[in-house]
Formats: sequence, structure tokens, C-alpha cells
Amino acid sequence: MNLLDIRNLSIELLHDEQRILAVDKVSLSMKEGEVRGLVGESGSGKSLLAQAIVGVLNDKWHVHADRFHWRGVDLLRLSIAERKVILSRDIAMIFQEPMACLDPTTTIGEQLSEAIDEQSLTGFFWQKKQQRNQAAVKLLHKVGIKKPDTCLDSYPHQLTETLCQRVMIAIALARRPMLLIADEPTAAMENTNQGQIFRLLASLNQLKKMSILLISHDLENITHWTNTITVMYSGQFVEAGTTEQIFNKPLHPYTKALVDSSPSANFHLPAKSRLMTLPGSIPILQHLPIGCRLGPRCPRAQKACVIAPTVTNFHGHKVSCHFPLLPIKSSAKAVKSSAKAVKGAC
Amino acid sequence: MARDKIYLEEVFPSPFMQHWQIFRKTPVAMAGFSCFIFLIVLAIFGPILAPHSPVEGQLDMLLLPPAWHADGNVSYLLGTDELGRDMLSRLMYGTSLTFGLSFVVVITSLIVGVVIGSLSALTTGLKSSFLNHFLDVILSIPSLLLAIIIVAILGPGINNTVWAVVMVLIPQFIHITRYAVKEESRKDYVLASRLDGASKFRILYYSIFPNIVDRIMSQATLAQSAAILDIATLGFLGLGAQIPLPEWGATLANGLDLFYIAPWTVYLPGLAILFAVVATNLVGEGIRHALKLRKDR
Amino acid sequence: MLIFTLRRLSLFIFTMILLTVLSFSLSFLFPGDALVNMSGAINATPAQLTNLQQSYQTQSNIFWQYIVYLEHIINGNLGISMASQSDIGKEILSLLPATIELSLAALFVAMLIGIPLGFIAAIKHNKATDNIILSVSMLGYSIPVFWLGLLAILTFSITLGWFPSAGKISLLFEIELITGIQFIDILLSDSPYKWQAFSDATAHIILPAFVVAMAPATIFIRLARTSMIEVLETSYIKAANAKGLTFQQIIFRHAIRNALIKIIRHVGLQFANLITIAMVTEVIFSWPGIGRWLIESIYHRDYTAIQSGLLVLSCFIFVVHIFTDFIYAALNPLARGK
Repeated sequence: MNLLDIRNLSIELLHDEQRILAVDKVSLSMKEGEVRGLVGESGSGKSLLAQAIVGVLNDKWHVHADRFHWRGVDLLRLSIAERKVILSRDIAMIFQEPMACLDPTTTIGEQLSEAIDEQSLTGFFWQKKQQRNQAAVKLLHKVGIKKPDTCLDSYPHQLTETLCQRVMIAIALARRPMLLIADEPTAAMENTNQGQIFRLLASLNQLKKMSILLISHDLENITHWTNTITVMYSGQFVEAGTTEQIFNKPLHPYTKALVDSSPSANFHLPAKSRLMTLPGSIPILQHLPIGCRLGPRCPRAQKACVIAPTVTNFHGHKVSCHFPLLPIKSSAKAVKSSAKAVKGAC
Repeated sequence: MARDKIYLEEVFPSPFMQHWQIFRKTPVAMAGFSCFIFLIVLAIFGPILAPHSPVEGQLDMLLLPPAWHADGNVSYLLGTDELGRDMLSRLMYGTSLTFGLSFVVVITSLIVGVVIGSLSALTTGLKSSFLNHFLDVILSIPSLLLAIIIVAILGPGINNTVWAVVMVLIPQFIHITRYAVKEESRKDYVLASRLDGASKFRILYYSIFPNIVDRIMSQATLAQSAAILDIATLGFLGLGAQIPLPEWGATLANGLDLFYIAPWTVYLPGLAILFAVVATNLVGEGIRHALKLRKDR
Repeated sequence: MLIFTLRRLSLFIFTMILLTVLSFSLSFLFPGDALVNMSGAINATPAQLTNLQQSYQTQSNIFWQYIVYLEHIINGNLGISMASQSDIGKEILSLLPATIELSLAALFVAMLIGIPLGFIAAIKHNKATDNIILSVSMLGYSIPVFWLGLLAILTFSITLGWFPSAGKISLLFEIELITGIQFIDILLSDSPYKWQAFSDATAHIILPAFVVAMAPATIFIRLARTSMIEVLETSYIKAANAKGLTFQQIIFRHAIRNALIKIIRHVGLQFANLITIAMVTEVIFSWPGIGRWLIESIYHRDYTAIQSGLLVLSCFIFVVHIFTDFIYAALNPLARGK
């Protein structure tokens, strides 16, 4: 059974009396114990999607979905309060810039202990306080902080960025979540520190069977750590599959471009030749192209691309393109079906 | 036929125009702005439009209540005071004294303050640090108190009041300009034009000023409302405009003794001051609102 | 924290020097003889004048004169009033507490009303409540204080008869001056009518305190509102939300604290504003404070009194300013190091 199953989630922004679809019908599913990467350029709506899942977007954004199931429970049928109870119990999130995500005027200890679930504590309030403190120390141990006591008494600005991110992870772990959403946890960190955080996340995944949704703009960086990957472009779903499928046999021209643009995936590339890139840049929200949003930049774009493609499934490898990069046989079929779709639409 | 634009182009207006476009779309700010314009027009043409003399009274028309009152007289729309002077005319003349003078005061101190402020922003080191402390001290003394002191040195009177308020407002403009210029010149686009070899004054004029003009405008509206209140308060305390002058604060103080018999002599000037300050603040609010919206984009 | 204290101390000393220089130069700027302005000895005999010249060392250079002037101030010798020929230092000492009382009461009222209202407006951002609070606050700081005071007297003391309109206590009560702060004096005194006196004093202070508090309260509303909105948009509030805290927990544990810190910074600046308003209000309510005394000295052209009154008042404002800076540093862990 899927842990998380989202179908056609859209996020709209009201801007100058005009509705902008920042995220356009994206589907996402997660299995238990899975590490899924969510990849896209900055501005492709990954963070929005993650924040919509946790429910921390402010009133400016309107979210709706066709299906939003969490461990078989249909969250769309629940009231906002009930949804929040379930989500905050089972899903935790860590953000980019950990320093900004910690309250600057409160000590780490206080922030950590208020995240600890009230129900796991017993006894009177002074006993509870001690238990909270012990639990906080334990959590800091788990994320590999060596001096938990000094850390508990410090303020966020006294710690380094990496330590703050570890504290954030500890706070996220406090409720023993089933799913951890990590929104670019290593942005603005040095390479060695990035490795530390990723290793920590991987060990948590293996030891605690915790699913992780890892959001990143860098495909290459996260492939070592993920089982499956979902690619997004400009708020649209592009492709989803296992890491091998995405990396070795990308079906979507955009994914292909992403993979080709990373030098380590193309070590056979002759020296001093150019890396493959797509022309142009990601469109701004005010001027989104119709249909497939990659259209103007896509090397394989044709007339049919002005209509948004539907998702096709090739043995668990999902792609949203009229002209996927398939072996000849099956691509003909796909082209035919999309041609039909175009005719129907006209 | 040739088309001018083939592609959909984003037109980027100057910061000031962007600002104006947002400002124009806020109805409350525009209402305040039209009241402001109305007051300026009244300040210029008030003396021509006023039906009666503000200083000479009709001795047979003492303490006439406003026209809507049973004992009122239509030719004295807002009633008369204890010397039979028409309140409406006094208020209209008062517009040019209180509001008009405060406007002139703000413009004068704005020009002086911005020039000194931007020059001082270019200085560094001990001079700059001294100036910083000096401004801090001056700004920590309340503006009205400072104005009272200056009036005490110069002696009471409307001219001295105006000078006092100008001198009080100048440090505020110096401070805001200095701060804004310093903040702006730390940004990368200024660095870029400095690397291009632009001179200090060129950077100041072409790069920095267009970007801080709205902040100075916002400060100007704050200064304007402070100036109106200060001039009126000094008038009320008898330190500003002297007896026959129909300055709003002085008119109000004048009516004080007859507060219970003729309350309109106190209500009306107070309302006039309130109206002028609210109009100014609405404009300022609109400017700050637009400033915030523009930054959010 | 030590560096912070030292920095404030240096700022304090610099300011004091600047203020005394200003006050010293005032005696030359005011019309009349500088020595007379400084000492207030307006009807002095020639013998007394030479005495004063000795004491203020008017023969030596200007710098030395300033040093001597400083010495006089530090010794508490502010000269005598030109109008009443009484010692200014003593007069100020008897009047300043009344002003402190009024301004602190007003500051308290302003913060108590302004800050919660601002927070409510921020939480209901862009809704009707927000707009109503904003419009009221706009009206509040546009209203001229003397007009507001007059309207308050007319409504509450004349029409409704709820509060007295002038003075700080009914003349029937005789309270010994010990600290100068009237409420403390009343509580310290052993008069049998202690509690009547106390309630009478309270009734006297309510109206002027609210009039003075009006403008600062509206400024606090705006300050509280903007800082709360800023805080609510930060990532740590978002993170706290994702952490599973309820809305009340977020507001009370994280948001209010961070927003308050930003407001405390401005309390010092607002206090200067408040003192000016208090001066005008003292005139209207015949409150026996330093503001009314100062304005009366201007009517009497009592330059010695103006000079010393200004010095004392601005010192007082600055001390409060520094004091709020310390509170700010104590509350904000980020500011201590700087």
C-alpha cells in the first residue's frame, strides 16, 4: 500500500486578479521505506508542493487535488483541523536555510522539547520536564551531535549551519514521523557537510524505516541516496521512475537534458566538447506557455505540444510527454495516441 | 501594416512610475491625495475666495452659531467668534498659514536635508561617526521641544515658528537620506556602476536617487503632518502665530475662553487640523503601501 | 554584554557632553547677558555680579568657562529662576516626579492598549478587524493633542462628570512629599484618608494619562502590527507550524516574543515623543509638571529656567532611551554580542 498518494494536485496563486497555476496537476506517490527524490530547477514548484503536502502555505495560495491519500485515509474528506493532526503526527519537514527556521530568541532545548509528543510523557509536570529534557538529549544523540548539553542551552545563531540542520532533523524526528520531507536540506552548505547530512538521512531511512522525500535542484547530487525520482519542470510533472530508469534511460527530453548536462554522467564525452543544455531559461510565472510548459525550449516539440500531455506509464516508469524518447516500436504508438488527443481537442 | 511590437514585451517603468501606478490603484490613498491637492489649492487661493475679512469683525454679529443652527445666518456659514469675525474666512486664511506654511517648511527642509544628507553619506571615518552620534542626540530630543527652545531663543511669532520647524525637520531629512544612501550604496548595482568608473556624484544622481526617492517622499509626508501639528501646537501655546492671525492653533486657543458658550470656535479649527493631518497621513500611508508592494514583487 | 554596556556608556557620555554644550551655548544665544542668563541673577547688585563672575570664571577662555559650568551642574547648581528668584534645581526636583508619573502612566496605558491591538490586527491581516484597527489608529495619531484634551475635558469631566479636569490631586488631601512620586507618597503616608487620597489621585491621572497615551498607543499599534506580520512570515514560524504546534502555541511561544523585541527598540524613541505630548497636556490639565513649568518660563522669558529645564528633560529622555536599549539587549540574544 502506498504511504502517500497524491493525484493531480494543483496550486494556484492570485496575482493582480489573475490566477496563476504555479503547480499544474502533479501526481506523487510514496511507498513505505522509500527514498524519493523530487528534482527540478529552482522555481519549478517543488518547495510549493512539499509545503502544500504539510499544509503550511499561507492564504495567498489555493491548493486542490483529485486525490490525497495518506496511508489509505482520504485526507480531502477530513476537516482542516483533523488533517493537521494526522499530518503533524506522521509527516515532518525540514527546510533549506536551517538557521532561519529556528526561532532566534529561544534556546535549542526549548524548541526541541516543545516538538516532543505530549502523549509519550508520563507523570507530573516536573517529571515531564525531566523526561522532555532526556528525550531532547536522546534526539540530539541520534542526529550525531556530540555535546548535547551545550547544544541545548545555545541559541541558533551560536551554532553552525550544519549543526542547525541536524537540530532541525532532531526536531523532525521528535514525533517519530513516517515520512520526512527534506526541502533542499543542504542548500548553501559545503560539500563535506552535505555528505554528512545525506548520510544521516540515509541511516535514518535504513534504521527507522522512515520514508524520505528529498527535494533538490541537483539531479546528480541526490542520485546516490534515492530509490526513486520524480522530475518536475515549471510546475508540471515530467517523469517519475526508479533512479536507474531516470538516470540511464530517461524518457522525457527534459530529463534527458538534465542527465546530459551533468559531466559525471557523461564521462565518455570527448574532452573540451560542450555539455548539452537546453536553450532559453525557465519561464516566469506571469508568462507560462500553454500546453506542455517545456514546449518553447524542447528540441522535440511539435504542434501537439500546445496541449498538455497526459501521463503514460511504461512498466512503472511514468512520463508526461507526447513524444517520449522510446525505442522505435512503442514510440509510434504513443505518437498515435497523442495525435488522437490533439484531434479530439481541436 | 507594420506592427510596433511583435513580441510580448515587459515594459519596466522607472521606480517612481511603478510607485505611482500602485499608488493610483489604492482608492483610500487617492482620496487622501485629492484632499491634499484641495488643501494646497485652498492655501493658495483661500484669501481670494474667503467671503469676509479674517481680522476685522462685524460688531453686530458676535458669536453667531453655524448656519445649520436655528440662530445661524447663511452669510456666516460656520458662524462667528467673539469679535464677530467669520469662522469660515478665518479657517480659509488659516489654511494658507497652517497648511501652506507647513508645506513650504517641509519643501525647504527637504531640499536642505537631502543635500546635506547625501553629501554626508559620502563621508567616512571619524567625521561620519561624529555626525552619526550628533544626529542621534538631536533626534532623541522631541521635535516639538526643540521647536519650543528655538522659538524661545528667537522670540514668539509666526516667522520664528517657521524657522524653528524648518530647523527641527532638517536633521530628520539628513538622517533618512543618509541612511537610505548608505544602505543603497552597499548594494551590488552601485558597486557595478562604481566598477564602471562612474564618479561619486554620478552614482548618487543616476543610480541611488531614483531608488530612494519614494522613501524620502514618505518621510516628507511624516514631516508634513508633524509640521502642521507643531505649527498649530505652538500657535495654541501662544508661542507661534500672534493674536489677530487666523492660524488654526491660535484660533482654537482664542476660542478656549468661550468653549462652553460657543463650542464651534473650538470644534472647527480642531477639525480643520485633523482633516489636514489625516489627508497628509493618508497620502503617506499610500506611499508606504506602494513601497511595500513594490518591494514584495 | 560588557562591550554592549561600554558602548552605551560611551554614547551616554558623548550625549551628555553634547547636551551640556548645547545648554551652555544657549545662555549666549538667548537675548541678554550670558552670565545673567546662566545664573538667573537678574536683580543682582554689582558686588553680587563680581561674585558670580568669579564663580563662573567669565574672564577665562570659553573652554574653561564650559568646564566651570559643568562643575556647577554636577554640583546641582542650576542657577535661580529669573521670574521667581527661587532655586531652579529644587523647583525641578519637585516638578519632575509629576511628569515622570504622568508619562510613565501614559506609556503603560499606551503599551497595554497599543501592542495587543496591533497583534490582533496582524493576526487578522487583510481582514475587516485589521482595517478597522488601522483606520482608528490613523485617526488617533492625526488628532492634535490639545484638541483631544479639550474634548476629553468637555465630555468626561463637564458633561459626564466622571473625572476631575485639572490638577493631580484634590486640594483637600495633604500629602507629604517624600519621593515626589505621588502614588508612592500616598502609600507611605500615615494619613487616615490614605485610600480616599489614593482613589482621588487615580481619578485625577486617568484623563491626562489617556490623552497623552493616545498618539503613542496608535504608534504602538502600527509597530506591533508590522513587526508581528514580519514575524509571522518568517521561516521559523513556518517550521514551527510544520512541527505540529497549534496556532496558539506558535503565537504565544514564538511570535509574541520575537515581535515584542522589535517593539521594545522603539519604546525609547517613542518616549521622547510622549514627553512632548505630555508637556502640552500638562498645560491643558494644569498638571504641576516640568512641561507646564517650562512653557510658563517661556512666557516669562525666564531664560535660566528654560536652559536648565531643557537640559534636565533631555537628559531624562536619554536615560530612558538607554534603559530601553538595555532591556532590548537583555531580551534579544542576538544584540548582546554587538
